[in-house]
Amino acid sequence: MNKTQKGAWVSIAMALICIATFGYIYVQLFILRKLPGLTDIWPLATIYCVLLIMPVILMRKKQSPQEVEKDERDRMIEKRAVIAAFVAVWILLFAASLIPRFIVELDGAIPVWSLAFINVGILVIVLLVYSVVVLVQYGWRGKDGK
Amino acid sequence: MGSSQLSNKIRRLRFENGEMTQQQLADKAGVTRQTIIAIESGKYTPSLLLAFRIARAFGLSVEEVFGYEGDDL
Repeated sequence: MNKTQKGAWVSIAMALICIATFGYIYVQLFILRKLPGLTDIWPLATIYCVLLIMPVILMRKKQSPQEVEKDERDRMIEKRAVIAAFVAVWILLFAASLIPRFIVELDGAIPVWSLAFINVGILVIVLLVYSVVVLVQYGWRGKDGK
Repeated sequence: MGSSQLSNKIRRLRFENGEMTQQQLADKAGVTRQTIIAIESGKYTPSLLLAFRIARAFGLSVEEVFGYEGDDL
């Protein structure tokens, strides 16, 4: 598995944890009607910290001077993933522009928290799209494409 | 990424050249082993520059390493 694939898996893990975190906060705030405290959040915060340290592990030293980190195929795969993510951004921005219509309150106000959910939701989905496109092009396999 | 019209003899040439490994060929061509694997299995079509580098690694011309099976012009 090369660095790009590892980065894609880490990104997927972070995106899923982000979704879980926001889902948890949503349940706490709007269904259980209570503010989540530090004791409720620390398990997810710990996982976040671990995932933030992961990139340091990815930046390993080269095993040999001739080892190539990225070649033309890797750059082409990343380029296609970026294009897919760019298209996803536009689609999601259009979809996000429709969301306030469904959450507008009786006095015509839109809850402020909805903007945070929309923005983070777009970021997470775009990250997922990029990572999935990378992994699909590499073949989902971790053992050097075999 | 791959092309059913482009064939190659890379695997056979590797074994004929002192049982060269994929990593050794990748080092000579300046790419990763994954790319060599993808080229051998027909899942990736190399650029012209990479095709020349691979051919040079075997001391052959591009036509002796890669074959085109498309319609004749």
